[in-house]
Amino acid sequence: MSSVTPTQPRAKRFALASARVVLLLLRARAILVLLLLLFLFSALVPEFLTANNLSILTKHVAIAALLAVGMTFVVLTGGIDLSVGSIAGLGGMVAGYLLTQGVSFGGATHYPPVAIVVLLTICACLLVGALNGWLVAKAGVAPFIATLGTLYIARGAALLISNGKTFPNLGGAESRGNAGFPAFGQSFLWHVPTPVWMMVALFAVAWVVATKTPFGRHVYAIGGNERAARLAGIRVAQVKITTYVFSAFCAALVGLIIAAQLEAAHPATGESFELNAIAAVVLGGTSLMGGRGSVTGSLIGAFVIGVLADGLVMLGVSEFWQIVIKGVVIVLAVGLDQLQTRLQARILPYLTTASIEEGHS
Amino acid sequence: MSQVNEPAAEVILEARNITKRYPGNVALDGVTFRVYRGQVNVLIGENGAGKSTLVRILAGAEMADEGALFLEGRPLALHTPRDAAANGISIVYQELLALTNLKISENIFAGREICHAALFVDQAAQNQRSAAALRHLRKPMDVATETGRLSLGCRQVVEIARALDQGSRILILDEPTSALSVSEAESLFEVIADLKRAGVTIIYISHRLHELLHLGDRFTVLRSGRVVGESTRATATRAWIVERMSGRKEGANDASTAISPARPAVLTVSGLTLPGSIGDEAAQAALHDVSFDLFEGEILGVYGLLGAGRSELVEALAGLRPIASGAVAIRGQNVRTGSVRDALRAGMVLMPEDRQRDGLFPELSIRENVVMAAKTGPILLRDEETKRVRKLAAELHIAAKDIELPVTTLSGGNQQKVLLARCLMCSPSVLLMDEPTRGVDVGAKAEIHGILRKLAAKGLSIVFTSSEIEETQALAARVLVLCQGRISAEFSRAQLSDEGLFTAASPSVAAAANPATARPAGGPA
Repeated sequence: MSSVTPTQPRAKRFALASARVVLLLLRARAILVLLLLLFLFSALVPEFLTANNLSILTKHVAIAALLAVGMTFVVLTGGIDLSVGSIAGLGGMVAGYLLTQGVSFGGATHYPPVAIVVLLTICACLLVGALNGWLVAKAGVAPFIATLGTLYIARGAALLISNGKTFPNLGGAESRGNAGFPAFGQSFLWHVPTPVWMMVALFAVAWVVATKTPFGRHVYAIGGNERAARLAGIRVAQVKITTYVFSAFCAALVGLIIAAQLEAAHPATGESFELNAIAAVVLGGTSLMGGRGSVTGSLIGAFVIGVLADGLVMLGVSEFWQIVIKGVVIVLAVGLDQLQTRLQARILPYLTTASIEEGHS
Repeated sequence: MSQVNEPAAEVILEARNITKRYPGNVALDGVTFRVYRGQVNVLIGENGAGKSTLVRILAGAEMADEGALFLEGRPLALHTPRDAAANGISIVYQELLALTNLKISENIFAGREICHAALFVDQAAQNQRSAAALRHLRKPMDVATETGRLSLGCRQVVEIARALDQGSRILILDEPTSALSVSEAESLFEVIADLKRAGVTIIYISHRLHELLHLGDRFTVLRSGRVVGESTRATATRAWIVERMSGRKEGANDASTAISPARPAVLTVSGLTLPGSIGDEAAQAALHDVSFDLFEGEILGVYGLLGAGRSELVEALAGLRPIASGAVAIRGQNVRTGSVRDALRAGMVLMPEDRQRDGLFPELSIRENVVMAAKTGPILLRDEETKRVRKLAAELHIAAKDIELPVTTLSGGNQQKVLLARCLMCSPSVLLMDEPTRGVDVGAKAEIHGILRKLAAKGLSIVFTSSEIEETQALAARVLVLCQGRISAEFSRAQLSDEGLFTAASPSVAAAANPATARPAGGPA
């Protein structure tokens, strides 16, 4: 690309500046949409911006955000994880079973303490994640099919655990030494619900992993060009398996939080959650082809979906319209993504020829 | 500037005063390009000179901002590639566009299927015509083969067959031989001669000068979006072309490296044999009992025709292919083979042949592309990376305005240098390169050759494969010739000749030759 002689420096600088602004706006569109929604709902619904409502809102968002953050890594490698909703349901049922039915051996029933329950639940979910990863990375099954299979497997397993019934009263009992489980979903720390803290912590870890570690870079590389990644010495299978296991871990947290909030475990919990998570990831600008996107975007995407849902409820919009609106927002988001890609392709040559001369480095 | 005034020449297609602007860049600046009927019209220029833009406009893939096209004197408006095809203009692109999931015949008829009753695809007719087109190209293939299983060279042939079958009067070939071996290129040249005799007009783009001079009837040189020279076959010379396209005289850069025999062997390959893949015509070439030494600071060329096992050799060393038997040793130490990580640990790194497919991460920045294979700690150090990449970019003359821009903003030659930088970041003791300058313009090619010589002078050992005699001669201090998976000859620099290389690489001749005499006691062993 030959550089342009600066015949019209002022016009050029202006064009360059406006090009940058347009790109910046497009890149930041998720957060712009979020701010717009917040503005809109706080104007239309007086009680929207109250501390109480925001606390409820973020609690709702936390569920979707946890799944979306886990999903982001999978999608960045070019995969998809349809099983997260089922894994969350399975996790809740495992916890519910251990808390209410206990484990019988030696003729007596033992009730494991809450910490052990949580640990075993997470382990059970990670197993499903590992199965996903193995199917995709080792057995070469297409991610959509592999995780569609485990979606059914995990859901079926959740139903089998209780024979389709709900485990009520997960509060446990001091006498059995397993009280305190509901705190997982209901407690507060500095006036902020525990699930929100979990979301914050998980996001922080995921952000660091995605942007600051070799693993994160390898995830992007695999999604961008798997053959090149292999040739660069990246352990493709290992990285992929890890992303599915991490996604399952996030799903396990969601299962535990919901069971703890309701103090009950229902085998149908988490149905269609995977779609919300995928929607959040896409809204956040992550490409379903892999290689492009960010954890931050997914978090913002989860907020957009959460704010939209709660705001529409508060406005009294019918549930059916809510579904339609959600769909429209997702389609618009993907349309804008295409627009960004095209504009970027047209603007980039401009930036290539100009950025250094502008003293930008 | 123009001495094109032969009376017999008739202009069939003319692009008059074409200007095409991209943001911040004028790709074509008032270019007038005349295409003469029944001749090979050569378009030459370095990457970024505007050749591809010009032919894309001629093929209807892009529209000019200013200027007009004239076909046989009548104004011609092309809005889509279909318009161009309807007017008898078709193009075979440099980047292979084959639909790899479809069969050869389906590729040849993609988008213009022959149908029964306008509904059902007439597979038999398509197969028959595809087979005929391929026969015409002297490259018969089983038209039911999935295109993805073909080598790059064969895919190129399929694309040319597609263009031929459309009955084009004007055929644009954008670097058709960049993926072809010498023998395939030769057969392509014969086809071009046939087409010429049949009255087809060819527009031909290539970086290979000997090829252009051999084929071309008319020469148009582009530089920075302008026509800087026009000539006919009678007056065009190699020096003229190079000088016009680069704006500088061609330098004799043959300060090559004879290795002193005292150097130790860095890489020792003994008895390397690869399993043949079954039923895959394109990739059946395995290696049989390949043994050689590579010495410190040596540039070893591996020459061979398509399918001789060149790529297979370097890919096996890089850990991309399992080996059936044989041993690989680095500085006398046997190393594990069969995984890329093992090869990297042993100090062998491969720069792949197809940079789009196997090399680049298109979404990532130049910096990230360079550092991808490097060793890192548990946390990435951005400043450290930036410093190292800047330094390498300066050393390799990567013309990047900003290393944070996507790697796809670079020209082909610079992308190639990004991959070279990635390899160097691994501090290899053996650099393996599969076609080090494929799809790179003459200027960048010479530059990359210069860089490689400098690296070798600093003690890096390099193995490169090439299907170009020109490149092999320019770069190698010693050459191994592969023929059907075996080493058929070895030449030291002094013994190199076009004739010798070609003879040793051709199957029939090599089989007849006595191995004892076919392998002169060259090399520093």
